[in-house]
Amino acid sequence: MPRYAMTIDLSRCMGCRACMVACKVENNTPEGHFWMYVFRFEEDEFPRTRIWFLPRPCQHCDNAPCVKVCPVGARYKREDGLVLTDFQRCIGCRYCEVACPYGVNYFHWKHPNKAQYLDYNDDPEVRERTGGAMPPYRNPDQDVRYGQERRLTAGSAHYRGVIGKCTFCVHRVEKGLEPACVANCPVRVFEFGDLDDPDSAVSQKLRSSPHFRLLEEEGTEPRVFYLNGTPPSPDVREVMPVKGGRRS
Amino acid sequence: MSGRAITLPYGVGRITPGWLALVGAAAALVGLGAFAYAQQEIHGHIVTGLRDWGSMGGAPWGLYVSFIVYFVGVSFAGITVAAFIRLLRLDYLRPISRAAEILTIVSLILAAFSVLADLGQPWRGIVNLFRYARPQSPFFGTFTMVIAGYLFASLVYFYLAGRRDAYLMAQHDSPLRWFYRMWAAGYRDTPQERERHQRTSFWLALGIIPLLIIAHSTLGLVFGLMGGRPGWFSALQAPGFVVLAGISGIGHIVVIAALLRWALGTPERPAMAAFRWLGLALLVLGLIYVYFTLVEMMTTGYAGREHEQELAKLILTSYYAPYFWVGMGTLAVAIGLLAVQALSGRWSIPLLVVSGVLVNVTAVAKRLIIVVPSLTHGSLLPYGTGMYIPTWVEGSIIAGLMGLGALMILLFMKIFPIMEVPEPSGAEEVRG
Repeated sequence: MPRYAMTIDLSRCMGCRACMVACKVENNTPEGHFWMYVFRFEEDEFPRTRIWFLPRPCQHCDNAPCVKVCPVGARYKREDGLVLTDFQRCIGCRYCEVACPYGVNYFHWKHPNKAQYLDYNDDPEVRERTGGAMPPYRNPDQDVRYGQERRLTAGSAHYRGVIGKCTFCVHRVEKGLEPACVANCPVRVFEFGDLDDPDSAVSQKLRSSPHFRLLEEEGTEPRVFYLNGTPPSPDVREVMPVKGGRRS
Repeated sequence: MSGRAITLPYGVGRITPGWLALVGAAAALVGLGAFAYAQQEIHGHIVTGLRDWGSMGGAPWGLYVSFIVYFVGVSFAGITVAAFIRLLRLDYLRPISRAAEILTIVSLILAAFSVLADLGQPWRGIVNLFRYARPQSPFFGTFTMVIAGYLFASLVYFYLAGRRDAYLMAQHDSPLRWFYRMWAAGYRDTPQERERHQRTSFWLALGIIPLLIIAHSTLGLVFGLMGGRPGWFSALQAPGFVVLAGISGIGHIVVIAALLRWALGTPERPAMAAFRWLGLALLVLGLIYVYFTLVEMMTTGYAGREHEQELAKLILTSYYAPYFWVGMGTLAVAIGLLAVQALSGRWSIPLLVVSGVLVNVTAVAKRLIIVVPSLTHGSLLPYGTGMYIPTWVEGSIIAGLMGLGALMILLFMKIFPIMEVPEPSGAEEVRG
């Protein structure tokens, strides 16, 4: 059984947020839901101002607070390390969301189909061209049950009133593909692979580069490793945040 | 029913215009709440002011969770009073015991409804919380100990304590006679039965006290165990929840006891000794809570991590300061009023009622302060700050639940005596 992990090379990231877009298209996440989120940070004062970027997927922690607090076992950790949500078991209490220190959980405040970008049904001009097809694209892989447990865990567009978060693109990993953010990054910031395989890209990167994990002091044991950088200090300021969906 | 020769005690079965008006007002609130809940069911929680914390800049828990905690807190009252009557033989509290027990049961039911209002998938919740229950989750305790175990224990206690009155009520000719007979279930209030009942109640009361501490602590642990959430992670959460529950519960009991005293004539009405006991209990618990708050503030201020200190500043001097200071201010005034009465030895019911209402304002404000700021401003990662403003839907659902509680109590008052029935002259003959 592999032990999946991700590395994120901060020295390569240029903050283009292509990973965020790739994630949204792959998983059909609703407006305002960013399973992959890229912080744009500003540090220090002019003229020494420094801008840097930090992608934030789910950290797929080994000691995941979200898994511990889930009252019904809808949030669970697979043997290969993926932390997933069973959309058919989740009761929508949002305890996982408040327990997670990384802010990676997004609740379906309304039906996912009603919260996609470009609400085709509301715009007569777009509607004329699309014939009211909404959402414009639905990834068929998200309706398949994966893993030994055969639970409904992939994608986002399933139910209202349940929680969702990054799955490391379980539907792609099961086919031997990389997660969408990894595959779509134009400068190869991400690597994804098996920690137990010494020849995997993640193992090699971890051997060759200095790395840290986010909020390591919380004891969550994340499976996401940040290379060639430092954790955000309390003095960093987030610039150009993506806040879409606050009222959607 | 009003035309019958025999009138049942404490206005049971008598429909008065005042009662009808109250029922109408409560039913209107329930209707408003039902309408608001229908909106939430149709459109989803998008109609609430709740949103995801982090990049969405909201708070995923808000009014509903605050009121789950509040309602569970209020439930403290009834079962404590009942248990103290049995364990400490505080007989002068006896007239208010049934009202207190009803308050416990009703508030626990309202807490369960608040949970359902908060859940994104309420119907699935009802099934899955039993089907897939995980004891490792702090929520498990909330659902089992509080909503199930505590409610069950309170119902059993309430049922057993009511059997004597059910038997006495069954002696009267009334359309509800079958109901009283069913409740009495063969109980005839013989000396042997009474003795057995006393013994059962004593052990039940003894068992309920630890359950009460565990249940309220469990609710505190839902927050206190969250290591990654500044403002929540604290060993004082559990005892703080127990004490604040006691404060809000006893505050309610004071108000109910005053209403009963006002509505009922002597000799059954609650005696001043009962008010003195309630006032002293409220004063002691209030002082303990102030002590807890000071210890918490000193620990955070002296050795708290940076995020903890920022949040404390926000609560004490900035965005959330009005809520905090309204909460602590009302508690301070209540403690002042109680302390003056305790020191002078002269107890005034109006002042006690004011204290009871004030401490409940404290309880609601403190619950909001516990739940919301840690979510909108408690991020360990540099997300921007969030905000949370409840919508009319949330407000209406909570108002509807309060209306439902009032409605349940009002209806109960018309089918069963709200106070223990005094020994009737005819009862001895029937007992023969």
